[in-house]
Amino acid sequence: MSTLVIGPLARVEGHGGITVEFEGDTVKDIRFDVPEGARLLEPLVRGKRYDEVAPILSRICAICSVAHTLTSLKATEDAFGIKISPQTELLRELMTRGESIESHALHVFLLALPDYLNYPSATALAADKPAAVTLGLRLKKLGNQIQETLGGRAVHPVNAVVGGFGRVPTFEQIITLRSSLMQAVADCDAMIDLVASLPATDFCHSDTLYAALRSPHLDTYYSGDEVMLLSDGNRAIVSAPDYRTFTNEKSLEHSHSKHSTFRGSPFMVGALARLTVNPRRLTGRLAVAMKRLKLVLPADNPMDNNKAQALELLNDVDRALDIIEQLLRDGLKDERPVPVHPRSGTGTGITEAPRGLLVHSYTYDDGGRIVSADVITPTAMNAASLELHLRRAVEQCGERDDTIIAKRLQMIARAYDPCISCSVHLVRRA
Amino acid sequence: MKPVLLIGLGNTLMGDDGVGCVVAERLSGHPRLPPQVEVMSAGTDLLACAAHIEGRRRVVLVDAIQAGGEPGGVTRFEDLSELEQGQDHVHHLSVVQAARLLQMAGGPTFVLIGVAVRSAEVSMELSPALSERLPAILESVLAELAEPAEN
Repeated sequence: MSTLVIGPLARVEGHGGITVEFEGDTVKDIRFDVPEGARLLEPLVRGKRYDEVAPILSRICAICSVAHTLTSLKATEDAFGIKISPQTELLRELMTRGESIESHALHVFLLALPDYLNYPSATALAADKPAAVTLGLRLKKLGNQIQETLGGRAVHPVNAVVGGFGRVPTFEQIITLRSSLMQAVADCDAMIDLVASLPATDFCHSDTLYAALRSPHLDTYYSGDEVMLLSDGNRAIVSAPDYRTFTNEKSLEHSHSKHSTFRGSPFMVGALARLTVNPRRLTGRLAVAMKRLKLVLPADNPMDNNKAQALELLNDVDRALDIIEQLLRDGLKDERPVPVHPRSGTGTGITEAPRGLLVHSYTYDDGGRIVSADVITPTAMNAASLELHLRRAVEQCGERDDTIIAKRLQMIARAYDPCISCSVHLVRRA
Repeated sequence: MKPVLLIGLGNTLMGDDGVGCVVAERLSGHPRLPPQVEVMSAGTDLLACAAHIEGRRRVVLVDAIQAGGEPGGVTRFEDLSELEQGQDHVHHLSVVQAARLLQMAGGPTFVLIGVAVRSAEVSMELSPALSERLPAILESVLAELAEPAEN
């Protein structure tokens, strides 16, 4: 037996890597070691008051802090029976678009692109191809601008609160966002050109079960309380309170993460899953771009998640502009948050974080303090599916070549855009 | 716009990893903070502050660093390229790589003040060892900020 160890992929020593065990040239076992510790953070909110929960849990991750904040608010509002206003719903959706733009720009341009173009890092890529990196940085900045305008801070938003917003953005702020978004339309076209020019990455093919939020509007990261799981024409719908149906997690020795399956099958969440589950939104500019990227749904290649993120980024800009037009058409109202009347009970919030479904579920006592909390991240949900695709990639690689295998497995793991959400962020000195 | 920006970095849910943010919080509004300095926290995403970095002369980053030695020891890095190796990870760019990218795009001078930590555990508090050293860490950062900005 021989072992191929790739990693660490994350900044924590000894974690976040890939281990492949061979017997001869046959894969005996393959593991993605995820130091996913969102669950370890749950004790931090036990006993906390309802208005302290989102600000704490938003700090799980700086990249996904809007997703954690809004999912947390959704869970709390569900527990207390709070109905937010249509304007709050639109503003929250706009925040999620900002987060998706910044997160996808970071991933596509600065994390995935160096792999495709054979550069060891984004900085090495920037030295040779500054235009591509500058384009990515510009789009990321746009995403951060949207989040900061609505969230009140560069990271870890404080302005989105239980029941609404502490302060509704001004007309002038919304107009400024519209102007920045309109300037980004051309950048999105340049991005699609760039992604369409990248070499094909056919490392593995496998039937895949996809899961994503299903909403009445068919194009939302925030609204909706049902998850659709879809594979090969078969579909199942799970409502938010029943989320454990698909996060029936199994503890594993090699990972702090727990593997999720639906009726025994691993499933994939994220951009590719969203486009697959809600295909009716793929019209107009998006459909043209999809054709240029040669993306066919349902896909059987997890590398297509990178193309799906590029498509979503394009759509996020368009959708954000639509939301702004609607806000301006309806007239921005200086609303106060809906009054909160804490009560005992359980509430669940499900949203689409940039890298897939995110679940927060809380139980409160009658004083509005947390009794128990459950946070399940997209990376945790994706872990079993990722391991399946890594295995297929090794099996479909042909003759064993550890250099090729290592490169392919890293690219597949990266295509899943995993978020090692509460790993430490120390600078390491060599 | 103030010419110097101090950015505290780290995850405040992970104990000592969040020391940079704690420093930023303590120095925000501090009576000895030089008037040319603005202070903010960036969590773990320096690029989220790109718009705030543009137009500054100098940016001072404070972050936890795994460098051996006693917890709380402070090391100053002007040349971030010496730290760039070994910072790769899947989900986002390291602080060092993000600062290098902003520099390459015509950004300001960056200085990294690394605060040595031994471990980072789930906690919203600093470890007792690091808490004890916090006054000395704040003095080091204030001394860095007191230096005249270049150019």
